[in-house]
Amino acid sequence: MPHWIFSCKQITGMISESMDRKLPLGRRMGIRFHLMMCSLCRRYRQQLLFIRSVLRLDRQADDSASQTLPGNARERIEKKLTDEMPKDAPH
Amino acid sequence: MAVENRTDNDPITWLHQYGDALYRFARARVRDSFAAEDLVQETLLAAYRSRDGFSRQSSVKTWLTGIMKHKVVDYYRKLKPELGDENPDQFAYSLDILFDKHEKWKIKPGKWGGDPQNVFEGKELMAAIETCLAEMPKKMSLAFVLREKEGATTSEISELLQTGKDNCWVILYRARMLLRRCLEVNWFGRKK
Repeated sequence: MPHWIFSCKQITGMISESMDRKLPLGRRMGIRFHLMMCSLCRRYRQQLLFIRSVLRLDRQADDSASQTLPGNARERIEKKLTDEMPKDAPH
Repeated sequence: MAVENRTDNDPITWLHQYGDALYRFARARVRDSFAAEDLVQETLLAAYRSRDGFSRQSSVKTWLTGIMKHKVVDYYRKLKPELGDENPDQFAYSLDILFDKHEKWKIKPGKWGGDPQNVFEGKELMAAIETCLAEMPKKMSLAFVLREKEGATTSEISELLQTGKDNCWVILYRARMLLRRCLEVNWFGRKK
């Protein structure tokens, strides 16, 4: 097989990696060439991007909900810090 | 030692002023809300104990966030023995069965449809994703969420998980393959 021909299995790894960093030109072309001919790998790529978009939207939902430190945790931490303080107080 | 400014030295004030910000920072990096609470506590305690080292060249918030970053790395380091993903064969198998001997798709990716922008559908999908992630080794799901949800770079993830970048790409690849398949079977498969 010519070096720019990749199998579906190899392409799935390369597509995943391309979502985390810019691949060298040769491998990018390899992906493009493979995707032109392979509808299953095109579908795979869309699915990975779909999953990413679900998670990014969830991140946005978290942001707009603006999480706060729960009250009971706040009390617990405050108590812990108060316990810590007198030990360091100068006698 | 003179105390010039009480608020600079008072951990209770830090808690009130920066508690929420620190908590959000922690929640974005560890997936467990209780662990995030502990990280806030440990950060404030460590900050209080090392308050003499605070140079005031940076803001209190920046200083606290710096301490928190170290605590997050510690958290992942402590987690390491129980991550249990040191056996790659287990995952090689679940990947291999998807392809035939020519490395073409044997178990073909199905049609999904669906719209994450649809709020209700997005929430349900997210719950399905959480269920799938819970079945993965912890380090794998953490790396995946840090990357896909939090948008962390692989350098940051490698640092947090104390793993090489090459390994990080492999972990992310396996996570995506496993999650994709899990959703296909348990979510899109069931919907039909």
